[in-house]
Amino acid sequence: MNPEKDINEEKLSEQLQRLLTSIEASGRAVLPKSNDVLLKSIVDAAARIFGAAAASILLVNEEEEVLEFKVSTGEADHDLVGTKFPYDRGIAGYVFMTGQPIATSNVREDKRFNQDFAKSTGYVPDSILATPLILTDDRIIGVMEVLDKIDATSFNMHDMELMGMFAQQAAMAIDMSQQIDSIEQALIRGLKRLAKEDKTQDSSDLKSALDHALSGENRTTDLLELADLFNDISGLGEAERKACIQVLNTFAEYRKSISAPRRFR
Amino acid sequence: MSDEETLRPAWSQHFAPDAIQELLAHGPFARITPEWAWGGSTGKGMRVAVVDSGVEYDHPALEGCVSGGVVVEYDSKARDNYRIKADDKPLDVSGHGTACAGIIHSIAPEAEIYSVRVLGRNMGGRAIQFAAGLDWTIENDMQVVNLSLSTSLEEFFGLFHDLTDQAYFKNMNLISAVNNIPEPSYPSLYSSVISVAAHEGHDPFTYYYNPNPPVEFGALGIDVDVAWNKGQYLVCTGNSFAAPHITGITALIRAKHPELTPFQIKTVLLACAANTKRQSK
Repeated sequence: MNPEKDINEEKLSEQLQRLLTSIEASGRAVLPKSNDVLLKSIVDAAARIFGAAAASILLVNEEEEVLEFKVSTGEADHDLVGTKFPYDRGIAGYVFMTGQPIATSNVREDKRFNQDFAKSTGYVPDSILATPLILTDDRIIGVMEVLDKIDATSFNMHDMELMGMFAQQAAMAIDMSQQIDSIEQALIRGLKRLAKEDKTQDSSDLKSALDHALSGENRTTDLLELADLFNDISGLGEAERKACIQVLNTFAEYRKSISAPRRFR
Repeated sequence: MSDEETLRPAWSQHFAPDAIQELLAHGPFARITPEWAWGGSTGKGMRVAVVDSGVEYDHPALEGCVSGGVVVEYDSKARDNYRIKADDKPLDVSGHGTACAGIIHSIAPEAEIYSVRVLGRNMGGRAIQFAAGLDWTIENDMQVVNLSLSTSLEEFFGLFHDLTDQAYFKNMNLISAVNNIPEPSYPSLYSSVISVAAHEGHDPFTYYYNPNPPVEFGALGIDVDVAWNKGQYLVCTGNSFAAPHITGITALIRAKHPELTPFQIKTVLLACAANTKRQSK
């Protein structure tokens, strides 16, 4: 085997590994452990803020051209999750296709709401406020709905404005979480395709470096564990976070003090 | 929640009871009254386009006022990325356009309504469909156009500006709802259109003028009883239900005073706003 190639392969493999773990680790440190936890926390907050008996989020599935119920809370609960609707159906469809929020009540009159389905879950809302989940680049990634205003017959324009602002924040968090979930896979897919398609030169080194990086046994899980730990600790409270930072700083100083002389040798 | 507690989004805040400014109409303007402006008018002969999700032509609330329509579809292979199909017996894929048409018809019962369906699946394509639909209304001699949709895409600022100017010079009145989310939305921010937000009143003919634009008029838009597709009815809230009230009133004024230009129509609307007081001398 060509020793030079071997060294290159090792470098590439190392670099890939570092890249993959840092992507994953950075994502875990700043966001809840999974997209599902994030979505659940958003609908729980939405229901609470807007005095709604229930809330749900539908996200766009571009491949199937549908809106899919990803999470719901309250009376409607989990039965909805996984249900898919074509883009142009229902109030959520209108909101998705126009980017305009809409507030309606007496929804029972609206057969497009797919009553058969709603009845099967035993839950038909009296009032709905549906708002697009819009990113800063104006892309709409889904629709958030709050259902059944508790102390009134319908959601008002104040709710509509506040929910618009809340939905923008939610959309950004969801998008970031989705990106982190998918960026690693996209990277791996892209690199694999590159390794396969690049016929102009011998790409076996890239391919084997990739395999090596993904082999698992060689993969550093410490960083991920650390990120998880940070996430858990930061969830406990301000004092715990500070204590954690202090311990880490002390440890970092200690490491520096013992490793510094080695650099000068 | 009681009316006193009801708060409005940023665009509608100008029309809160304590925010509405009293305006004075002087000289000849003081002689313009709602009775002069639209008394006895039914909107007869007016061609009014609803650029939206379609209009259900046979909805009972519309009493056969839908005279035709088109569907604008996004097509990346077509010239200018869209194609237009005739839609003589239009349907409504959502219900929203039927709601707008129903409001217009309730105010201007003899106006002819045309459905321009422009809903799309992605932002860029949707803005192109919307622009193409507006272009169709200009090319097909519509006189009043209800635009309860808008786009916030900056790259379409110029195109919509050009289209609304063309409409203005063709003597058309475009009535544009501002977005329910307080962010820029086109074409509602242009001076060549009549921009509308919601106020919480109950009378379809009571509207207010805001002397601090871009949003100029506030009309009924909270808990409005509207027609919906598949022959249904709903109660809806939003600026997009306020705009059709002004569209209907504009159709009444134009039918009664066909000589008026778009800027004169705006003057008449201002003179007849509920917060305009007439000075007798």
